Amino acid sequence: MRKQITEMFGLNVYTEKSIFVGEVEDIVIDVDGKKIESVVVGKLNPELVDIKNYKGLKIPFRIIGSIGDIVIIRHLPGAFKSEEM
Amino acid sequence: MTRILARQLSKKKIMTNDGKVIGTLKNIMVDDETGQVIDLIIHPDSSFDTSGYRLEGDKLYINFDAVKDIKDYIVVDRYLSKK
Repeated sequence: MRKQITEMFGLNVYTEKSIFVGEVEDIVIDVDGKKIESVVVGKLNPELVDIKNYKGLKIPFRIIGSIGDIVIIRHLPGAFKSEEM
Repeated sequence: MTRILARQLSKKKIMTNDGKVIGTLKNIMVDDETGQVIDLIIHPDSSFDTSGYRLEGDKLYINFDAVKDIKDYIVVDRYLSKK
């Protein structure tokens, strides 16, 4: 579906196991490839990511499942600390 | 490979490769399934002749294929930008 890029700013990002990741802050565009390269996620869930080390996460577009009222990303085993539990 | 943040593009000027300023960037149209960037949505300058361009309301649409480069300005091909 076509949408304006500013509509994506501020959307909440969840993994497909419905864990909150953060909020879309910006989008990286690959000018030569004419496509979205990654999504910059801020306001991170402190239980998921160690905020001391990160200001935000850059999530590659290929692991994004779908974008609608929220953004759903694929669950990456081992990517987040809470999965050790 | 040029990568840019979408927020850095806001209010950037669009120029054709023959040196004419078209206007300011308002938004970008993307396909949220493929991630493809489709169109630039531009607010044209009042002095710019918009004939031959795709207009929707007061906004001018230019296919992203026409984009040559993005630095201080967004430079678009003067032939490809018309449709």
